[in-house]
Amino acid sequence: MPAGKGKEGAPTPACSDSIGIDALSDELLQHIIGFLQAQEAVRTCVLARRWRNLWKSAMRVRIVADEDKFLGSVEKLCSFVDRLLQHRRGSTLHTFDLVFTSFGQEMSACLYKDDYSFLKLVNDWFWHAESCQVQVLFLNAFSRYIEDPSLLLYNKPIESRHLTRLELDGVSVQSRFLDFSNCPSLEQLEFHNCYFSDDSRFRIRAPNLDSLVLAKVWGMIPVLESMPSLVTAYVATSMESEDTCFENDCACEFCENYYKISGGTDSCVLLKGLSEAEHLTLFSGPQTYIFKMDLKCCPMFSKLRTLVLNDYWCVPDDFRALVCILKHSPVLQKLTLELSSEKYRQQRERKGILAPMEGSAAILEHLKIIEVTCDAVDERICKLTFFLCAFHICFTLN
Amino acid sequence: MASAGSGDEKAAAAAMITLISSDNEKFEVTEATATLSQTIRHMIEDGCTDGGVPLPNVTSKILARVIEYCKKHATAAAGEEGSSSSFSDAAFLEVDRAFLEELEEFDDAFLEVDRATLFDLILAANYLDIKGLLNLTCQKVADSVKGKTPEQIREMYNIVNDLTPEEEAEIRRETQWAFE
Repeated sequence: MPAGKGKEGAPTPACSDSIGIDALSDELLQHIIGFLQAQEAVRTCVLARRWRNLWKSAMRVRIVADEDKFLGSVEKLCSFVDRLLQHRRGSTLHTFDLVFTSFGQEMSACLYKDDYSFLKLVNDWFWHAESCQVQVLFLNAFSRYIEDPSLLLYNKPIESRHLTRLELDGVSVQSRFLDFSNCPSLEQLEFHNCYFSDDSRFRIRAPNLDSLVLAKVWGMIPVLESMPSLVTAYVATSMESEDTCFENDCACEFCENYYKISGGTDSCVLLKGLSEAEHLTLFSGPQTYIFKMDLKCCPMFSKLRTLVLNDYWCVPDDFRALVCILKHSPVLQKLTLELSSEKYRQQRERKGILAPMEGSAAILEHLKIIEVTCDAVDERICKLTFFLCAFHICFTLN
Repeated sequence: MASAGSGDEKAAAAAMITLISSDNEKFEVTEATATLSQTIRHMIEDGCTDGGVPLPNVTSKILARVIEYCKKHATAAAGEEGSSSSFSDAAFLEVDRAFLEELEEFDDAFLEVDRATLFDLILAANYLDIKGLLNLTCQKVADSVKGKTPEQIREMYNIVNDLTPEEEAEIRRETQWAFE
């Protein structure tokens, strides 16, 4: 918001007790309206003459469909949003939130497959926001009633100079949608519970990102293309993904002890695209093999300063994955291991501070802090401690 | 790159700026604190802060609160500044989750003010162009009217209904879809 606008030459009265909401400019009132849910924002129109049209050009629209609440049925939601957008007549939007998380079972079914007309409407709203020069776009259709996230977005790329942040939860995306190369301002991209494809590996192309979240991928985990300005990334994959092998006695090259750290020719799925990051969190379920597969051609993380890993990376007595990623992180300063143990309930945090031994491995000369979060010190932690010592890291638990 | 950045930050931390409220009170703050305000940041960039920055739209009472906010959030932006002297690079490590929680607690406590002060803070945040403070304070106002009827909102904020009954009826007809 531009500074110094509004009450020109009229300094705030010295006696501030007299100030009321009327002292705020239209722009500021619209900023406040933008924090309300859409129906409450519209209702401000009857407060007084001044308020009549303010909501129509508020920069933020927040649509929250809640079962048993105002937008509690698909019919109501559709007619409401249609009228809202009609009245706004394409006014510029800064932020658009579409939140369908509190749908009940019946409404969730509509989001799913039963009602294509509803899918079309949601898509219309989504793409309408793009045409209103939206900068921040949230679409959250996560539902606890639906097993697979399937609110399907049209298979076409977003082309917007304005979009800076996109956050999707519980939607299904297709290959062309994942090409964000025509969004030069897109810096922040988040996929939570999103469904990619079962039979082909999509590619996420978002060359200007500085922050990426890819949490709980359904279908095949997508390839991350080069992101040269990436600073922070959080990637958590688990058994929802197709890239998971559940066979206990399987001998495929990625399972358990059969995977190889080097010598592979496969191209990287995740790690290469993440290699420019300064802060990484890499979580994986035990049977999801993508990271281990990626380690065969592990890139150098030449800017990585903080790294957070989970149990996946520390399975005694095989610490190859951990060693591999540490070896490829020459300027790492802090390593956090978030380990969970089902045996112990008691939650304690243990901090270990590194005191490098003489002749410590040159590759870890910048590593100053190793923090291990665990339920309790069990056998595995002891082995890990022992291992880290052997790796020239003297590691203490207080 | 890391060492250059750290040098710059130290220089910024050392530079002090004087802010002058509408009632002529002077506040000395670090540049890091002051530049949370885009308005002041631009003044510094233009080199017109010598002799202090007059802020004719902000009283000393409100300016003191704004500075309190900026100090806290500038520390957050710079990482855990000064928390561990032995690790000079520690400021570059990710900000602690505990620290973020502390910041949230600070914000909650910060918003415990009467309505007049809240509006003064909104005006100051807007004038000084401090995005975080503007969002925080506007969100607070929005939260306070959530679930209230128009009548309740008018009463709460002394809004005089200057619509004639006919006009109000007409507006309600136009926007019936948002009321029922």
